Amino acid sequence: MSLPTKIPPISKLAIAVLAIVWGSHTCSATQDQQQEAGVAYFEKHIRPLFVQHCYQCHSATSKEREGNLSLDSRLGWLEGGENGPSVVPGDVDSSLLIRAVRYSDPDFQMPPIKALSAEAIAKLENWVRMGAPGPGHDKLMAADNPSDPIAGKNHWAFQPLHRNEKSDGTHDAASSKQEWAQSPIDQFVLAKRMEHGLNPVQDADPRDLVRRVHFQLTGLPPSIKQVRTFLGEEQPDALERLVDGLLASPAFGERWGRHWLDLARYSDSNGLDENFLFREAWRYRNWIINAINADLPIDRFVLEQIAGDLLPFDSIQQRDQQRIAAGFLVIGPKVLLGNIEKNQRMEIADEQIDTIGKAILGQTLGCARCHDHKFDPVPTADYYALAGIFASTTVMEKRHMLNEQRLMERLVGLGPNGVDADDAYEAYWRDKPKLIEEKKKAETALEALKKVKGEEEFSALHDKNPNTVAIEAINYCRTREERIAAQQALIAEWTSAIATAPKIPYRAMIPADVKEPADEHIRIAGQFDRLGESVPRGFLTVLSKSEKVEIHAQQSGRLDLAHWLFDRESSASQLVARVQANRIWHHLIGIGLVRTVDNFGRTGEPPSHPELLDYLASELIQSGWSTKALVRQIVLSRTFALSSKYDVTNNAIDPENRLLWRAHRRRLDPESFRDAMLVAAGKLDWSPMDSSVSYLGDQATAVGANKIRRRTDFPNRSIYLPVIRNDLPELFNVFDFADPHVTSGARANTSVPTQGLFVLNDEMVMQAADATAKRILADCPTNDVGLRIERMFELILQSNTTDDVRQELRSFLAQTEELLFQEHGKEAECRALAIACHAVFASSRFLLLE
Amino acid sequence: MTCNNFLPGTTRRSMLRNSACGFGQIALTGLLSQSVLSSPTPDDNPFLPKQPHFKQRAKRILFLFMWGGPSHVDTFDPKPRLNEEEGKPLSLETVGGGRTNHGTILGSSFRFSQHGQSGVWISDLFPHLAKQADRLCVIRSMHTEGTAHGEALLRLHTGQANLVRPSVGAWLSYGLGCENESLPAYITISPPRGHGGVQNYGSAFLPAIHQGTAIGSAETPIAKAQVSNVGNPRMDKSLQRQQLDLIQKLNRDHLRNVDADPGIDGMIANYELAFRMQSTIPEIMNLDGETQETCDLYGIGTEPTDNFGRQCLLARKFAESGVRYIQVSTDYTWDHHKKLKSGLVEESAKVDRPIAGLLTDLARRGLLEDTLVVWGAEFGRTPTAENGDGRNHHPKAFTMWMAGGGVKGGLTYGSTDEFGYQPVEKPVHMHDLHATLLYGLGLDHQRLTYRHAGRDFRLTDVNGNVVKEIWA
Repeated sequence: MSLPTKIPPISKLAIAVLAIVWGSHTCSATQDQQQEAGVAYFEKHIRPLFVQHCYQCHSATSKEREGNLSLDSRLGWLEGGENGPSVVPGDVDSSLLIRAVRYSDPDFQMPPIKALSAEAIAKLENWVRMGAPGPGHDKLMAADNPSDPIAGKNHWAFQPLHRNEKSDGTHDAASSKQEWAQSPIDQFVLAKRMEHGLNPVQDADPRDLVRRVHFQLTGLPPSIKQVRTFLGEEQPDALERLVDGLLASPAFGERWGRHWLDLARYSDSNGLDENFLFREAWRYRNWIINAINADLPIDRFVLEQIAGDLLPFDSIQQRDQQRIAAGFLVIGPKVLLGNIEKNQRMEIADEQIDTIGKAILGQTLGCARCHDHKFDPVPTADYYALAGIFASTTVMEKRHMLNEQRLMERLVGLGPNGVDADDAYEAYWRDKPKLIEEKKKAETALEALKKVKGEEEFSALHDKNPNTVAIEAINYCRTREERIAAQQALIAEWTSAIATAPKIPYRAMIPADVKEPADEHIRIAGQFDRLGESVPRGFLTVLSKSEKVEIHAQQSGRLDLAHWLFDRESSASQLVARVQANRIWHHLIGIGLVRTVDNFGRTGEPPSHPELLDYLASELIQSGWSTKALVRQIVLSRTFALSSKYDVTNNAIDPENRLLWRAHRRRLDPESFRDAMLVAAGKLDWSPMDSSVSYLGDQATAVGANKIRRRTDFPNRSIYLPVIRNDLPELFNVFDFADPHVTSGARANTSVPTQGLFVLNDEMVMQAADATAKRILADCPTNDVGLRIERMFELILQSNTTDDVRQELRSFLAQTEELLFQEHGKEAECRALAIACHAVFASSRFLLLE
Repeated sequence: MTCNNFLPGTTRRSMLRNSACGFGQIALTGLLSQSVLSSPTPDDNPFLPKQPHFKQRAKRILFLFMWGGPSHVDTFDPKPRLNEEEGKPLSLETVGGGRTNHGTILGSSFRFSQHGQSGVWISDLFPHLAKQADRLCVIRSMHTEGTAHGEALLRLHTGQANLVRPSVGAWLSYGLGCENESLPAYITISPPRGHGGVQNYGSAFLPAIHQGTAIGSAETPIAKAQVSNVGNPRMDKSLQRQQLDLIQKLNRDHLRNVDADPGIDGMIANYELAFRMQSTIPEIMNLDGETQETCDLYGIGTEPTDNFGRQCLLARKFAESGVRYIQVSTDYTWDHHKKLKSGLVEESAKVDRPIAGLLTDLARRGLLEDTLVVWGAEFGRTPTAENGDGRNHHPKAFTMWMAGGGVKGGLTYGSTDEFGYQPVEKPVHMHDLHATLLYGLGLDHQRLTYRHAGRDFRLTDVNGNVVKEIWA
């Protein structure tokens, strides 16, 4: 083919070929369908036959692999064994496997003992006719195998970051439109917008902006004073100073820490089958808040959470803090009862891989547990390379829980004597039943001793259980009274020992490496007891430079994993930067550049602004992984400061506002909703909180004999409320709080009637309204209703009323007060005002952020 | 195991067929707001009533859950050999169960006999139900995983234990939408708080509208139970309406100011629906309008049947009102590790008459033909003794039954070995049951999928075979 002078449109065929080679998600649907249907046929009809009749001798897991043939993967039957390929795809009669099962050749019959049924043979023939499809990442299938990690490097998310500066303003023809952009971020956004003929709406009203900045950075509304100061500012750097102040406030960590806690599936209880309390989880929660406030660089932030227990330390305090961070690995949900220990270990590793995969790498690694990933370049071998790391880590230990020794989450004592205190505590509960038994025997001995003719009996009891008799009680030089007293003293001592349980020591949920870290076997179909070949511990091939991976043999490999994730040279760190930068954008702007924030794989969405994403990711790395620096940069962009105003023309072009021609109007999350009500009511306790579950028993929910349930009536910020899996505060449940069983980077955004029911009738909402009404009355003692209405709007919405609204409220208050007067007399005024405050809390102006 | 959940089946979109319905309307606005906010799939409306994949045998499911796990060999699966060999060690060699010592055989204290035209075997624990034997389709070959309650409950309700998955009712709500404009599609009466708790009626990654609405909880008498936040403790209805009018005025004022916002539209509609629900739900929950004869039928007003009778009657009322999936749970009372005999006598006495009454009542109202009633639990119990006079958990084999909703009445399906230890004929795994339930409601379990975290999920994961022989 000669090269034409003009480049023609790429032919459809070429696109299809490229798509297949790259395994991109533009891959033609029919191709995918056929391939998947083929694999499905294999798994449904052929694999069971192989399992039953062939794998005993022809599998990678067979003790002795006959004829060096393995039928586990496509490679296995295509390459075949000593007799050559077993299957010729599409050619039934030439396939050795078919010849063998047909039993037509007396010297070549399989399975050797008994021929397969005619039905089974027909299935095998049909399968060969289909081209002998099946799973397996191998060279032969590289072209059409999505899990191939080498070809997979072409996926956009695994490509090196492209840094493309637009800030020099030379990118496009200079125009007045260019002036809109105030920062590199704006340049990228503007360029995309212009491509699509979109014009930005005006900037946000300063009053809306100050409210937006406050909520986005701290989860709290501004105070009236803060609004006034900001509105009165004439210095150009007013916004910068406001943002810097908020970034430095502890409330920043209480807002942004919560974002991470969603990803960390943070919870105060186990959930799933047995909802035991995680009494110590709060230490991890507070560690996160403090780390965000300290702007701990993200690489260090993740390192401590994955391997904090393995890091060197200069002080006990530092050791404990690092260990607490590693609680990240321990707080996942686990099936606790009746689980087989080996299965549980693989389930825990799976949960950790799934969490880390999505939260840090934006990859759905869990899919590769049972088979090579169907869409992304993650072969099963990579999954088990990681599984080896986590299976070499333990998060469980035998502990006393609910009157039994059970396999529970691992706890370690804190402080210099922590381990001893923990041991003493556990020993008490472990030994208590035995001590009670011994005490009973000691009492029997005492009874014998007291009897006039009991010496013989006593002596026999002593012989039987020498430990249950006091030394002085067998000292026959003593009087009987003295001996009785000695025995009584022993009993008294034990009684008191039994009665005085040691205090629960200071402990935290902390993982540890197992004694003998080891590689894991692939588990066929993900079943813990079906071992495939062993794979060396390691990371994702698609993100690695070379196949050689350094794992410290004596360790689990968590430290190495954490270093690999942030190795400046590796493509892993670039992916991590993309994922984390996108998360920050998602929280501030309302949607991610990649909207599937936890899935940067082929089934996720590609970025709306790829260059901007890479710019933000590079900025993140260059700042030394500083969350605050990137937050600051985005908040100070003009893009962030857009109004949320509607525009018909733009809306027709981009109804989803993916190209950011305006700001996304958003509903407050439940934490901000509650905190903002408490602020309006003047009832918020701004101080941080330790445990909010200490009053609960070992069962975190009120089940059976346990009547105690989590409380939600703390006046502190909502981040400190108990997060009990399967028993969330109702407010959280109703307003799309993240399910704490699973990592989650983007909360749902539903609009359902239960939200209406909650806001209209919940006691907490009404109490906040009561307190707000009282506050207004105290602030406006004169009987000026207009003033009170103004105050109400200031306190709740940080805004003024319009004439219409004021009039509406006036007549509502008058009418309601009159209605209530008969029953409530003087109270009617306050009650009517409270009902009005409640209405404002329920209104869209309060619930939505402009 | 096949992974055909990756096969591109019917998409949700192609399943969507609109019809006017309050939840649908609301949902539409809810949805629009989502699209503006951040839904990646803006054109999917999860709430509208939808067409099934194929012929619908039943329109709704009413699941009677016996929390704890009743003994199958004392109720619906007679095993004379247990009585013949009582006290001997259980050896399953003869029935192919291996040589492990499983403990000492415990005979059944209950007399089994055949009932109705069809001769369905039922023990004398259920005299009232026995009179309706010809309505029952008894599946004796159920099996599942999970030797502890928590795991088994989660598998029963969601198909999975170590991962959080939507419950059966949530899938149905998602697959079929709702039939009533001011009621949720999925209601669970007195659900357990433990053993997975809300996860057993949760929607997991499905939109929140599909979550089950709880009425009370297992340990609370149903007469005292409420749906949370339905009704205001401080304001009467007219005052609350007045307040709501103010809220809506503020909302509309806001809407005018911003020109257009589907999120605010949705909020306005939601408040109206919420307000309507405050009337509808208490109306249904009020049993005063029922005749004495009906109450007697369910055993309401007499012990020990009053509580479960009320639960069943409530279930009928919700079925009548178009709720898609209704679950009624007993308290955690069927876990007979000891005193099996007295325990079973006590517990069956609480439910026998109410269940029989429910079947009668549904039938005479013409509801039984399209309501699939399902009875069962998380697992069965061992043929061997525990603590001398009890039986232990047994997920390997147990019995469930169905009635109405297009199943063959008077059918006994599948069988267990002579000890009731494991299924020998036509085993029905929990996944198979789920596939079968969906099938009865006109849904293909392989096509009812939801895209989440990059792949299509389904109730039966990569498993499930529809049992077709039980359908009339």
